[in-house]
Amino acid sequence: MSLHRYELGFLLIILNIYSLGLIDAVNVTASDSAANPLQAPSYQSHSSSAVYKPAVDSSYSINLLSSFPEDVEISEYCSEMLRLFGQRYVAYVNCLIPAARPVRVCQNCSPGYKSLSDVFLNISSDQMGPGNVSCRDSILRSDRLMLVFLLYGNLDTIWEKSNCKQCVTTDLKGPNNDTLYYLTLLNQTITCFEKYKEGNHTELCKSCTLPYKDLNDMYSGMEKNSTLCIDLEDSMNMTRKLWSKNFGCSYPHGETIPVIAVSSFMLFLPIIFYLSSFLHSEQKKRKLIHPKRAKSHNSLMNIQDKQS
Amino acid sequence: MANITKKVSWSSRGDESGAAGEETPLLNGSEQSRPLRQSLDYDNIENQLFLEEERRMSFVAFRCLEISRWVICGLIGFLTGLIACFIDIAVEQLAGLKYRLIKENIVKFTEAGGLSISLLLWVALNSFCVMWGSIIVAFIEPIAAGSGIPQIKCFLNGVKVPRVVRLKTLVVKVVGVIFSVVGGLAVGKEGPMIHSGAVLAAGVSQGRSTSLKKDFKIFEYFRRDTEKRDFVSAGAAAGVSAAFGAPVGGVLFSLEEGASFWNQMLTWRIFFASMISTFTLNFFLSIYHNKPGELSNPGLINFGRFESEAMEYNLYEIPLFIAMGAIGGGLGAFFNFLNYWLTIFRIRYVHRPCLQVMEAMLVAAVTATVAFIMIYFSTDCQPLGPDHTEEYPLQLFCADGEYNSMATAFFNTPERSVRSLFHNPTGTYNSLTLGLFTLTYFFLACWTYGLAVSAGVFIPSLLIGAAWGRLCGILLASTTSTASMWADPGKYALIGAAAQLGGIVRMTLSLTVIMVEATGNVTYGLPIMLVLMTAKIVGDYFQEGLYDLHIKLGSVPFLHWEAPATSHWLTAREVMSSPVTCLNRIEKVGTIVDTLSNTSTNHNGFPVVVQPAKLCGLILRSQLIVLLKHKVFVELARSRLTQRKLQLKDFRDAYPRFPPIQSIHVSQDERECMMDLTEFMNPTPYTVPQDTSLPRVFKLFRALGLRHLVVVDDDNRVVGLVTRKDLARYHVGKHGLEELHLAQT
Repeated sequence: MSLHRYELGFLLIILNIYSLGLIDAVNVTASDSAANPLQAPSYQSHSSSAVYKPAVDSSYSINLLSSFPEDVEISEYCSEMLRLFGQRYVAYVNCLIPAARPVRVCQNCSPGYKSLSDVFLNISSDQMGPGNVSCRDSILRSDRLMLVFLLYGNLDTIWEKSNCKQCVTTDLKGPNNDTLYYLTLLNQTITCFEKYKEGNHTELCKSCTLPYKDLNDMYSGMEKNSTLCIDLEDSMNMTRKLWSKNFGCSYPHGETIPVIAVSSFMLFLPIIFYLSSFLHSEQKKRKLIHPKRAKSHNSLMNIQDKQS
Repeated sequence: MANITKKVSWSSRGDESGAAGEETPLLNGSEQSRPLRQSLDYDNIENQLFLEEERRMSFVAFRCLEISRWVICGLIGFLTGLIACFIDIAVEQLAGLKYRLIKENIVKFTEAGGLSISLLLWVALNSFCVMWGSIIVAFIEPIAAGSGIPQIKCFLNGVKVPRVVRLKTLVVKVVGVIFSVVGGLAVGKEGPMIHSGAVLAAGVSQGRSTSLKKDFKIFEYFRRDTEKRDFVSAGAAAGVSAAFGAPVGGVLFSLEEGASFWNQMLTWRIFFASMISTFTLNFFLSIYHNKPGELSNPGLINFGRFESEAMEYNLYEIPLFIAMGAIGGGLGAFFNFLNYWLTIFRIRYVHRPCLQVMEAMLVAAVTATVAFIMIYFSTDCQPLGPDHTEEYPLQLFCADGEYNSMATAFFNTPERSVRSLFHNPTGTYNSLTLGLFTLTYFFLACWTYGLAVSAGVFIPSLLIGAAWGRLCGILLASTTSTASMWADPGKYALIGAAAQLGGIVRMTLSLTVIMVEATGNVTYGLPIMLVLMTAKIVGDYFQEGLYDLHIKLGSVPFLHWEAPATSHWLTAREVMSSPVTCLNRIEKVGTIVDTLSNTSTNHNGFPVVVQPAKLCGLILRSQLIVLLKHKVFVELARSRLTQRKLQLKDFRDAYPRFPPIQSIHVSQDERECMMDLTEFMNPTPYTVPQDTSLPRVFKLFRALGLRHLVVVDDDNRVVGLVTRKDLARYHVGKHGLEELHLAQT
């Protein structure tokens, strides 16, 4: 916590990310600090903007922009990278949005994230590309806004929050074995639900208990190992809701009489205890200390004399 | 006249029973042999031996003493932290085991039916734990019962409560508190922690343990009441600091409860001990939690940090806080009132150890039963959040993926419940749950305090307060459409907790600082202070604080900060005991032995006089006993010239358990010998003339920590003796000044 707070100091530059409401991302970005251009010197970008101050005349300034000298202009390679980043970004977002409800983010879009993060890694790595250029400084750190970093940060937060890493294979190509097994169980349960949905719900409760229980146990096991991602959580939530709310299959309120009997017995015990100890136990008396007083008999009178 | 001196005592409510009590001897045989509560000797006895020793001591030796004081304080802090750590881990492990066991059982029987079996299991486990906790307290060391704070308060006030700082007490206290918390009683482990710190301090500073018959031959200089008390106050501070992670609060606790004399150097040392204690606890807990070296998780009870924006308060909320303080004060007074009558009942009827054990077990059983019924019939189901902090969520009859919200309050160790009441997001509890919880827990906690188990009242009070405080927060939010205005109910839970605790224990300064430190947010200082002030004012209107009530019931001659008001017309002549047994400067051994053996002379100090009755010194019972033991008789000294001269060390070695007079054998011949007290008596005892007013005498006692004050006439002749007991019996009641008879315990 304290570490985190400390880093907030120089995270100030990218604080605008969090003002978008992604407060939880602080942790993520902070821990990834190695990959981030954390120390992006904002003052530098200020000073450089001071050098290339836009001219008063706006039409002239367009001309100026297009004719930046070679060494500050973005290289061919980097602009290519930027274009690629844009393409994959759009593709990923396009994948994400339809998968929002019901949540299929991990199953459908993990490869998209993989390709996006590959490009970003390329951009942010300090290894020189062809032509001995590193795109990190030119794309990520040259200005106050740091748009690419911000954009990627958003999606990265979504990825981290969805916890998809737990459900897909290490190369992010597709669901891993646990997930696949879970999905088969889920399918079984849903099919069972479909089958009995029409008739009496009690029958459904009876017949589908087995697949539902398997599914539930599997889920609980995965919860314990914390190998859950949002897809599974969401599907389980929906299934549970169906099971308990729609079909009303949770445990009945059981036999209440024995519980009441046992507890009223328990509650009666103290009454018996106190009554019996009141009636049978001998009362303990205390011996008072009697002070030896000078003129102890008339001391009361003494006091009263003084008063009057 | 308005001021009527009445004789009141708790056992003479109905005068006839009081009269009977005076005649009948104590029923409990063991009681009679118990020593009376005595005062501690804070006044340095500047007799010739002392002067000689001081002359012999070099400058370096004095520096060494100063350094060893620091070393002792460091040790006290370190060991207190260790003990706190041990208690914490033991409770966590054992309680975890218990709750897991019950949870599995409940899950099993929810499905199969037959939850009454789970109830029985819960009841059995609770009663079993509490039984052991209660057995060791009731049969081995009854003084370890309760929170221990009243006893430490008395000790720091200058009353020697027998056996309160023994090693055995410490062991019983620590083991007992683990059992009672694990046993699911409505108790906390913070009060016992304070007691434990104090015992440790008393033990460490003496460099030996009489119980273990082990003398390390170190710190011999500190074997005196004065030094011991300084260390005990450091220990109590270290205990508070370990319990709440509040080092400054600990120092202020010692200041508020104990100190009648206080110097800056001592404060600084006490602060050192508190700091060491918090950070020892921190360090070891960080290792336990697998984050070694992370030192920012102080305290047994960690309220968590109140830092989010929702926790901010606004000016318009201050009146609300004050109103809550008033509620807390009222509820606290009600709590104390109930507990007072319960305690009287217990003293009268439930005094046998086996009955006490049974009572404790019954309370444990009922606590479990009530909790179970509450959980069983609660229909408040809440969804299980992604980052749920509940360690043992119970589903019971809730829909899958939801848990029973009542169970988070009941099915948990009390301090975890406090934390979840403070920090769980809005909507975790509905108001019915909280209301029922407050109601039941209030009575359970009230019933529990005073049982023969080692247990504190801090956490239950906080829990009750947090529950109704949160309820207030929820109700406030529901009255306005803009719920954001009242923000987080956790804030109100904190204020409620402070109000309730303040209403029950009536601590002021130290409690404010403790709460502020435990929440880690200084901006809460003002509201907490206002709340505690209101709670104290409102509560004091109805009833005394819980600790003061128990001190009063224990018949402890406790001296409050000030003499009772309107007592200036009382003079030393009326207050003192008279006539006083005096000894001559050169006294016959037989007379001394007879005086000491005489049960009617219950004083522990004897004025030494030269004829005719002129005061020349004061000698203590303990000194006389040491003298008799070493047979320091004039005749023997003459015959055996080689005999070693008695030194101050001999008195220290006998400290603090001086043998009773019966165990010292004095032969018929020796009775005829003479004893010269000149060397050993305190040649300059404090004296007052007969017309000194009571407040003046009181001030002397309170400020100097006196034990005996000799009252003399114009010719320096002894006419009486004032002791703590003579002063403590006056107090201001409903009809002006009243005289209270202290009972013998």
